[in-house]
Amino acid sequence: MTTLETLTEITAEAFGVPAAELSPDRDLRGIDGVDSVKVLRAIARIEQRYDVELEDSDVFAVKTLGDLVTLIEKAQ
Amino acid sequence: MRTADTSQHYELDPEVFGLFLDPMRKYSCGIYESPSDTLAEAQVRKLHFVAGRLGLRGGERLLDIGCGWGSLPLFMAQEYKCEVTGLSPAGRQHAYIRGLAAERGLSSRVNIRSGYFETAEFGVERYDGITMLGSIVHMPDLAGVYSKARSLLRKGGMLYVSESCFRNAGMHARFDAEGGTRFVRESIYGSGEMRPLSDLVRAAEDAGLSVVAVDDLTDNYRRTIADWMTNAKARADELNAHQPGLAENMIRYFEICNAAWGYTTKHYALTCSRSR
Repeated sequence: MTTLETLTEITAEAFGVPAAELSPDRDLRGIDGVDSVKVLRAIARIEQRYDVELEDSDVFAVKTLGDLVTLIEKAQ
Repeated sequence: MRTADTSQHYELDPEVFGLFLDPMRKYSCGIYESPSDTLAEAQVRKLHFVAGRLGLRGGERLLDIGCGWGSLPLFMAQEYKCEVTGLSPAGRQHAYIRGLAAERGLSSRVNIRSGYFETAEFGVERYDGITMLGSIVHMPDLAGVYSKARSLLRKGGMLYVSESCFRNAGMHARFDAEGGTRFVRESIYGSGEMRPLSDLVRAAEDAGLSVVAVDDLTDNYRRTIADWMTNAKARADELNAHQPGLAENMIRYFEICNAAWGYTTKHYALTCSRSR
């Protein structure tokens, strides 16, 4: 599984939406029913899965799954 | 001193809280030791932890500010033979606690008073320990609260405060007016001023108290709230029978809390003593 596939799967589960609705450049907060709480929850699960701790400035700046892939790959 | 109105949430029927809290109806963080610990076990362990932080040996005179449904006064009276005054502005809690105290033969050691700590009047006899579990968040005047608490403690008396805090001053500035914070403040409690731990420590120092211990209970609160959420989901219909939409509101509150721990918020226990 690529990082993007893994992140898509975790995020879809955290948001309660089908993975197919999540494209790498979609603004996560623009998805129906998704707010900053759900984004934070997804990031927490991703940090746990990869055993990494992202910088606060990055955590709160994440807009898309593509951003997250870059951050996770950099943090590993 | 200024007071803040918190009755909106705490004046709900006590039965509501019985639907998702532990049997003692302790509405604050528990302490878990193993993966198999239940919510009820975690809450009992937490009260023993508080007793430890206060250095209780038995028979002390305690004041519990924001006593909720009386879990701490009843427990300390029963387990440590303490004489406990519980103070809370939410009138619906008082009859409930008095009833339990009478049932358990603790009426002579448990005294429940109505009112706000900031304006309440106290006699000359001082306390060995004062506790505030999740109540200082509802008090706007930190300096006044600490100073009054200190004046009510005997020399060497202990103050235990556990509270949810912004993770640092930057998070406070950034998230105080954000959606999640506003929802919890306005839709759940009606008021509340969450601060960083540094504000609580500074106010304690300024009041002349000595800081004895700081404990990070964040992971424990995450698990406590996860247990509350499980219960609230299972009893959603009963919650909504008390007030339409209540289950969804409570679950949303719990989800916000548990998403934020460690990122924007922490839960600390701060123990201070009146000593030089």
